[in-house]
Amino acid sequence: MAIRDDFPILQRTVHGHPLVYLDNAATTQKPQVVIDAMNDYYTQSNANVHRAVHTLAGEATDGYEGCRNRLKSWFNAERAILTSGTTEAINLVAHAWGRANLEKGDAIVLTEMEHHSDIVPWQMLAKERGVEIRYVPVLDDFTLDMEVYEASLEGAKLVCVVHTSNVLGVRNPLERIIKLAHQFGSKVLIDAAQGVPHDRIDFDAFGADFMAFSAHKMCGPTGIGALLVRPDTFEEMQPFMGGGDMIETVTIEGSTYQTNEHKFEAGTPRIAEAIGWDAAFGWMESLDLEHEHKRMLEIARYTATQLRALGMTVYGRHDDSDSAVVSFLHPTLHSEDLAHLLDARGFAVRTGHHCAQPLLHRLGISGTVRASFYLYNTMEEAEMFIAQVKKIVERFA
Amino acid sequence: MTYPVQLLELIEEFREVEDQMERLEMVFEMADEVVAFPVEDWSDSTRIHGCQSEAHVQVRLDDGKVLMAGGADAQLVQGLMGILTIAINGSAPAQALLLSPEFAQEMGILNSLSPSRSNGFRNMFDKVMLEIRGLVE
Repeated sequence: MAIRDDFPILQRTVHGHPLVYLDNAATTQKPQVVIDAMNDYYTQSNANVHRAVHTLAGEATDGYEGCRNRLKSWFNAERAILTSGTTEAINLVAHAWGRANLEKGDAIVLTEMEHHSDIVPWQMLAKERGVEIRYVPVLDDFTLDMEVYEASLEGAKLVCVVHTSNVLGVRNPLERIIKLAHQFGSKVLIDAAQGVPHDRIDFDAFGADFMAFSAHKMCGPTGIGALLVRPDTFEEMQPFMGGGDMIETVTIEGSTYQTNEHKFEAGTPRIAEAIGWDAAFGWMESLDLEHEHKRMLEIARYTATQLRALGMTVYGRHDDSDSAVVSFLHPTLHSEDLAHLLDARGFAVRTGHHCAQPLLHRLGISGTVRASFYLYNTMEEAEMFIAQVKKIVERFA
Repeated sequence: MTYPVQLLELIEEFREVEDQMERLEMVFEMADEVVAFPVEDWSDSTRIHGCQSEAHVQVRLDDGKVLMAGGADAQLVQGLMGILTIAINGSAPAQALLLSPEFAQEMGILNSLSPSRSNGFRNMFDKVMLEIRGLVE
């Protein structure tokens, strides 16, 4: 049975044509087991977590905490805070760790390759705290300028770097980045939203202090993600959002807080989403992810080569560790026009700045068309895509 | 929704086309209907914000009637501008302000009219209406 048979949405048509979904770097589709798990929760076990003693509450708590346990075992991590996604996870670091540990005169190192969610929270914090932000440039070969990076580490307290660019698909030399940062006494946050779906990471061995990512980019539901934190760094984080579930005791004089991850999960959490994400991990467990990554990358390389032959500029290199993202531009046909015309034949691609305006500014462009492949995409789909792009270019360019 | 006759005819024409690509091609052809707005006059105040393409409009009154000029680097956006031109240019401001953006959906061109960063048409429509309101207030 093919992987794609597990995804009911892939059976639908768009404008009378079979859907070819190539917008996976934005969000991935969900296998039936994820949809069923969430449906089962709402039809059989819906209750709030952590408090009540009744049967349903126990089932809901087991389901929610089951996701946390899965995260810890999948990534070999001791602390896994459940968040609404990568963006909230990064903002949590800014508020819970940044505010408690950064002060005027400290520096944060970012890169030009970051998604807005790994830039804006730091700009806000820098403004509030008088912290300096240093940006590592992107070179013409789409890699980070590691010389500038190394030179920027003096006095840095935190390095925030994207695992894999959502625009270029380039995976950064994270092992070296983390090692160098630690030599200078800086913590490291990895935005792994695009990395985790393609690379099974051992968080403990990896060495980063924080790692943020989302469920929906790896066949899980939207609205949930996680922040993995090293145990010593976890102890340096102060509660950010107050409310139920994160406290130990509350009196009118004051409150004491939980000491585990619940301290950062105030309010009723995303229970159905956690259960759905756990099911997504279970589904992925049955796959040979390394083999699938190689297969996806082959599809991306084929697509990039064919697009170049059609006169497109392709932004990316597609090395072995990169993700299967192909960003491109036609010299005259506007990216938005191309995307609408592709949609007319059932092809879903993304256009625009991909929430990475500093990177696009560096590349001297305002947007790209982005085709991004995932587990259920096939070489046949890539061939159909290229044939369609060719037809559109011949007719409209 | 009641539309001006010239727009009703256009909606009918678009509805007769079954193929989405052909429909888009028809929108592209509407780009020629736009009253030219020279690039050198483009500024931040004429820019349609939140639009993926670089698109600008200017609305003024000519003998008491609406006169919209515009330009965009994306053919689709310029084409939609052309359709809007057909719908409002030469109308009294009060009449132009009665127009609702649903016609783009009724023509089968756009699948969503929700304001968003990918919806250049909605942002353009809202800006043009705002400018017309500004001219008569």
